[in-house]
Amino acid sequence: MATTIERMRNIGISAHIDSGKTTLSERILYYCGKIHRVHEVKGKDGVGATMDSMDLERERGITIASAATSVSWAEHRINIIDTPGHVDFTIEVERSLRVLDGAVLVLCSVGGVQSQTITVDRQLRRYDVPRLAFINKCDRVGANPQKIRDQLEEKLKHNAVLMQIPIGLEDHHQGVVDLVSMQAVLFEGDEIRRGEIPPDLREEAHRRRNDLLDAASMFSDELTEAILEDRVTEELIHAAVRRGTIARKLTPVFMGSAYKNKGIQALLDGIVRYLPDPSEVKNIAVDQSAPPDAPAEVVLSSDPDAPPVLLAFKLEDGPYGQLTYIRIYQGRIQKGTELQNARSGQRIKVGRLIRMHADHMEDIPEATAGDIAALFGIDCASGDTFTDPSCPYTLTSIFVPEPVISLAVSAPDKRALDRLAKALNRFSKEDPTFRTFVDPESHETIIQGMGELHLDVYVERMKREYNVEVATGKPQVAYREAITKKAEFDYTHKKQTGGAGQYGRVIGYLEPLADGAYEFVNQVKGGRIPREFIPSCDKGCKTAVKKGGVIGFPVTGVRVVLTDGQYHEVDSSDNAFQAAALGAFRQAYAKAKPVILEPVMKVSVEGPSEFAGAVFGSINQRRGVIVSSIEDGSFSRVDAEVPLSEMFGYSNQLRSLTQGKAEFTMEFLKYGRVPAAVAEELQKQHAEKRARETG
Amino acid sequence: MDAKHLIKRSPLRVLEDSTHGGPGPGGLAVLASPKGVGKTACLVHIATDKLFQGKAVIHVSYSSRVDYIMTWYEDIFKEIVKTHRLRDSETVYDEIIKNRVIMNFKQDGMRTGQVLRSLEAMITGGKFDADTIIVDGYNFGLAAPDDLDRFKDFARRMNVSIWFSASLKETGGEMFGPDGTPVLLAPHAGRIDVLITLEAKSDAVEIRVVKDHDNPPAGVLPIRLDPRTLLIAQEK
Repeated sequence: MATTIERMRNIGISAHIDSGKTTLSERILYYCGKIHRVHEVKGKDGVGATMDSMDLERERGITIASAATSVSWAEHRINIIDTPGHVDFTIEVERSLRVLDGAVLVLCSVGGVQSQTITVDRQLRRYDVPRLAFINKCDRVGANPQKIRDQLEEKLKHNAVLMQIPIGLEDHHQGVVDLVSMQAVLFEGDEIRRGEIPPDLREEAHRRRNDLLDAASMFSDELTEAILEDRVTEELIHAAVRRGTIARKLTPVFMGSAYKNKGIQALLDGIVRYLPDPSEVKNIAVDQSAPPDAPAEVVLSSDPDAPPVLLAFKLEDGPYGQLTYIRIYQGRIQKGTELQNARSGQRIKVGRLIRMHADHMEDIPEATAGDIAALFGIDCASGDTFTDPSCPYTLTSIFVPEPVISLAVSAPDKRALDRLAKALNRFSKEDPTFRTFVDPESHETIIQGMGELHLDVYVERMKREYNVEVATGKPQVAYREAITKKAEFDYTHKKQTGGAGQYGRVIGYLEPLADGAYEFVNQVKGGRIPREFIPSCDKGCKTAVKKGGVIGFPVTGVRVVLTDGQYHEVDSSDNAFQAAALGAFRQAYAKAKPVILEPVMKVSVEGPSEFAGAVFGSINQRRGVIVSSIEDGSFSRVDAEVPLSEMFGYSNQLRSLTQGKAEFTMEFLKYGRVPAAVAEELQKQHAEKRARETG
Repeated sequence: MDAKHLIKRSPLRVLEDSTHGGPGPGGLAVLASPKGVGKTACLVHIATDKLFQGKAVIHVSYSSRVDYIMTWYEDIFKEIVKTHRLRDSETVYDEIIKNRVIMNFKQDGMRTGQVLRSLEAMITGGKFDADTIIVDGYNFGLAAPDDLDRFKDFARRMNVSIWFSASLKETGGEMFGPDGTPVLLAPHAGRIDVLITLEAKSDAVEIRVVKDHDNPPAGVLPIRLDPRTLLIAQEK
């Protein structure tokens, strides 16, 4: 049966590692009646939670890929996009967020708002995603939901309002008091028992309900009046909370313990009650046919009869071939619908259209605006927009960060090499932050990504899914080079070795460019260099910036200004001017005081305060700069900026320093200048490498 | 102007000269005023001056959030850049800020012993060679009698100077004693080397030296806290 758009929800579940996100997803699937046995993330039965569809995720107890899973609750269809929990996979998170209309932010009732909660919350904020909070693990020793609510307010600036208060905590956690219906809700196995509020909680329940009414009444005059006239109904509260949530001005807070099966059903009710349906979310596309000076942004309509516009947000290589997950923003698609890939212009026909459940797939006749589905046999890259051929729209692209680390990989034999090529092709399509190329000098295959763990996971997947035992080199940091002062060039390229000669002279200067990687400015007047050779000069410089003269890494932040030159009627050519520009760039580059830049990571370490000294020391040892340390009772967090090149092996060191009690996250922050001693060492290594290659 | 000239010309030299070099290594200084007069701005200006000299500073806070303190530093730095037309300011800021660490403690239940342990971990474990420790928002009302002794002992052992801020409240009686010492700080006066009070006047904040080691205090200084820029400035 087709679901109307009002009864659809596309949600994500976001959290810090180990907040119980996967267990929560698992329980949601269970209570929605789709799976009948509940597995733990690190299950003794060796099966693992259903959402983690890859073996590797099962082993590591983390979720890597975002599988979209469809469930039903209270006559609503909820599509759950399981977002990865590790910062190394941020692109996956960002891509999932693009297709979400709402999210559940899961917090541990002890750990509360942790470093990564802040990261995922910032991402949700960037994509304007309304959210509910679920305070999980209320059965843990030290559980304190009220404190976590306060943290949501203080640290994340949420207008967080409790929808429930706990009945018992730690070992005694049995259920919650629902502050809307003012009933006790006890969760006993699969059953829910509603009853009177226990006498010792009545006073607190009334107090918290008043807080809730105060917060909710900001979004509804009707509710305000009803409060004054003492005729508040549950419907009025729901409507006001919903309005506040969708406007992202209110965060309803639920609580329970996914592991102990407490609070899940109430959370599901909250999802359908307060999170928006797809028609309530504004989605914007770019009209490619708009004239350059006209506004190109168009708001998509959730009308199923409008021309279809959809986004391929996830590719998966399954046992039945390539599966492309799509989100439909406008119109409808059916088997046979003709679509055009906005990037490649390629036309495709919709073949098999399916809906993914946690453990099986269902063939569906059509999918309409707002829905999430999957297509078989479509050749595309992740992030591609498909539209009706008459409709020249693209969905605004997802921000893709540049990779910061690379690794040489090689296959043991020729057959494995073919499989490796297949794997690399697949991964780079799936994940835009995963890049691969063959180094023209060393002829090695290089993979690039966002961190050590990010690449580790792909190396593992090569072994498991493609049966390639790859050998890997030492991880290499993606250094950059940059100039620090202006330098002039005047270079003549001249060759006369029989036959046609080569001649080109270029004059101009290089200067540092603050915002941007490369810019070419042509100021040549009076045809001193014929117009057709200007692009040749640009091309020559572009070749030069690919490999800087200090350690052979790409040059960033440089403006090339061409002011004058000379040509020869017969001997000047495209090649001659390319060579001249290349030579000129190198000539000026050496004079422009080039420096080496390295990726600097923002590192957060969290753990018991007793290890603070060890953590400070470990960061200092790695050329890190400690920005701040925050101590809250026995728990502390250290934020630091550390060069990526120094972060290899940090997880092992941290584990041994803190008896495994501290954890860290890191993400790319900026490119920073390397200190002189390190620069010298890098130059030495580069010289040795060149000597080996040439000698 | 470059950083070297800026240090030389800083109005903070007046403060130093009027207090025999400030608290000095192993010494404690306190900046006291009612809430909202500008203690944090003053402390951040003092810290920034140290950073300009290439010295390392630990900024301890009890109440404020870390990003709030970072903003203080950025704002004060921006004002200094504007006032002194500092060249190449972004590079200078990136360079000096590496020598600052912010340590935030929730005071509820956070005892002086624990704070000092963490500070020591930063200085010795983290090899952070601090010159000055700024302690903003310390609650002198809740301080145990020997707390300041422990800070003093720590300052001596680590060879650092410590600057506190003290928030003064009217508690029915007088805020200041006859010699200008705030009543709140009277029990600790013997342990404080330099004591300065801030007083809001109509157009600026007056800075008064109430205690200067064992020397007679200089009284009201010819420098002011400008309420517009929140910088300490020479009197016009």
